[in-house]
Amino acid sequence: MRKNSGLRPGFSVLSVVLLLLAPAAAILYGVYGLDNRKYLLVSLVILACAILSFFLLFEQRKPPARDLVTLAVLCSIAVAGRAAFFMLPQFKPVAAVVILTGVCLGGQAGFLVGAVSALVSNFFFGQGPNTPFQMFAFGLVGLLAGLFFRHARRKPKKLFLCVYGTLSVFILYGGVVNGGTLLISGLPLTPVSYLTVCASGIPFDLTHAAATAFFLFVLSGPMMEKMERMKRKYGLMQRDDDSE
Amino acid sequence: MKTNDFAKLHPVILFTYFTAVILFSMFFMHPVFLAISFFCGFLWAVSLAPRETLRFTLKCILPLAVLMTVINPMINHAGLTVLLYVNDRPITLEACAYGAASAAMFSSVLLWFSCSNRIMTAEKFISLFGRAAPSFSLLLSMVMRFVPRFKAQTRAIAEAQDGLGRGVDSGSLPTRAKNGMKILSILTTWALENGVITADSMRARGYGLPGRGRFQIYRFDSRDKWMLTILSALIFAVLFGFIKGENSIRYFPFLSLPPFSPFSFFLYICYFLLCSYPMLFNAVCEVKYHGGF
Repeated sequence: MRKNSGLRPGFSVLSVVLLLLAPAAAILYGVYGLDNRKYLLVSLVILACAILSFFLLFEQRKPPARDLVTLAVLCSIAVAGRAAFFMLPQFKPVAAVVILTGVCLGGQAGFLVGAVSALVSNFFFGQGPNTPFQMFAFGLVGLLAGLFFRHARRKPKKLFLCVYGTLSVFILYGGVVNGGTLLISGLPLTPVSYLTVCASGIPFDLTHAAATAFFLFVLSGPMMEKMERMKRKYGLMQRDDDSE
Repeated sequence: MKTNDFAKLHPVILFTYFTAVILFSMFFMHPVFLAISFFCGFLWAVSLAPRETLRFTLKCILPLAVLMTVINPMINHAGLTVLLYVNDRPITLEACAYGAASAAMFSSVLLWFSCSNRIMTAEKFISLFGRAAPSFSLLLSMVMRFVPRFKAQTRAIAEAQDGLGRGVDSGSLPTRAKNGMKILSILTTWALENGVITADSMRARGYGLPGRGRFQIYRFDSRDKWMLTILSALIFAVLFGFIKGENSIRYFPFLSLPPFSPFSFFLYICYFLLCSYPMLFNAVCEVKYHGGF
């Protein structure tokens, strides 16, 4: 039914360029070019390539309608959840939904839901220079959740999920987004200024980490049950297993 | 400005424009380029939404800019011209200048993003990827649709639960929290099941079959062609100047600007035309289509 399930030649050339050549060229330019903003340029190129290569993989697999709609539903729950708690800044369930997606449907689905949720929720709340960093950071949180918990024989315990959620949001998400803020702000790239930026973001990051732990504690049981049921009943994301 | 003709241009042009201007604003730390970008960005943001922009500038941009101007010389001690010593740490002229420049850079990037958020709406962004990444753009447009739909459904569920005496407004705090989670759980089940029905309906109508076209709302007409040509010429001129090193400036160890020449004057004009492009375009359209101001 699907016309070509293999790699399309145009796409594979493009993914090689994206994955290898563009970051390498950016780094070379950064090493030899004399520009005081070269770190921002190189990191933006690498981020864009990382995010695009996941989208390309997704595109290449020609996802069936059911997978596509399920991913859209999960992203929408994350975004609508953020909108529901908009009066409490940084108290948002996005990371929790992204982690649960990674656990139940695999790392690639986790990355996609994370990146798309960040992008779309910024359409509602306003795009900013931090959008690519947020997309990548949420994607990374979901991807690693998939890598850590996907192949566990039993379902991960709630405690592990909460610990992973807290740490990943505080260290990974906070680390990436604060790094982005540092790069954009033009402060000198020293450990001191990184720590200054992180310190100024600590209240937000702590709230975000606590919110993620809370939502994981409350949501992980029912959400995982529902997603497992969807998988059993409708055979969702089965090709994910084949490709891994 | 009565009508916003710029927003009616093809999304490809709008996306190219905003990407170029925002990236240029981020990377050009030359004071003239910073001033041009900030001035045009501010003017356009004000003309798009006067009250919001003024509030945003005073409440958000100004404190950030002051903070960045102050923090930079405190953290960064590079530079040769020492102004004074604080705690045996030198405060240098170069670091102060760099702090002011990065504050201007950051402010103009934020202003340009505020313009872009008003012009580059989600459906235009989605239509950009229709051909290159159909699954991704379908995913994006479904999410944009589902979010308001889920909010409406949450209200419906909450009302039904309230009618059963399980509302979020009644009972003790733990009961309320439990009821809230119950609503969320019902919503998730409904959304996932409903999603599968949507997917089956899509498949039944032939989603993913070869030879299917896509929905296209934007047409690339001859005006768009001309505008894209002008825009590309301006962008290439500015990029050429960047390669020639005209837009760069060295802040450390001491300030050094590229020498001023007729070519740099030409570049300033190009960059000014690029940054004020939407306003100029709107003004021209005002005269041409709407009979003057």
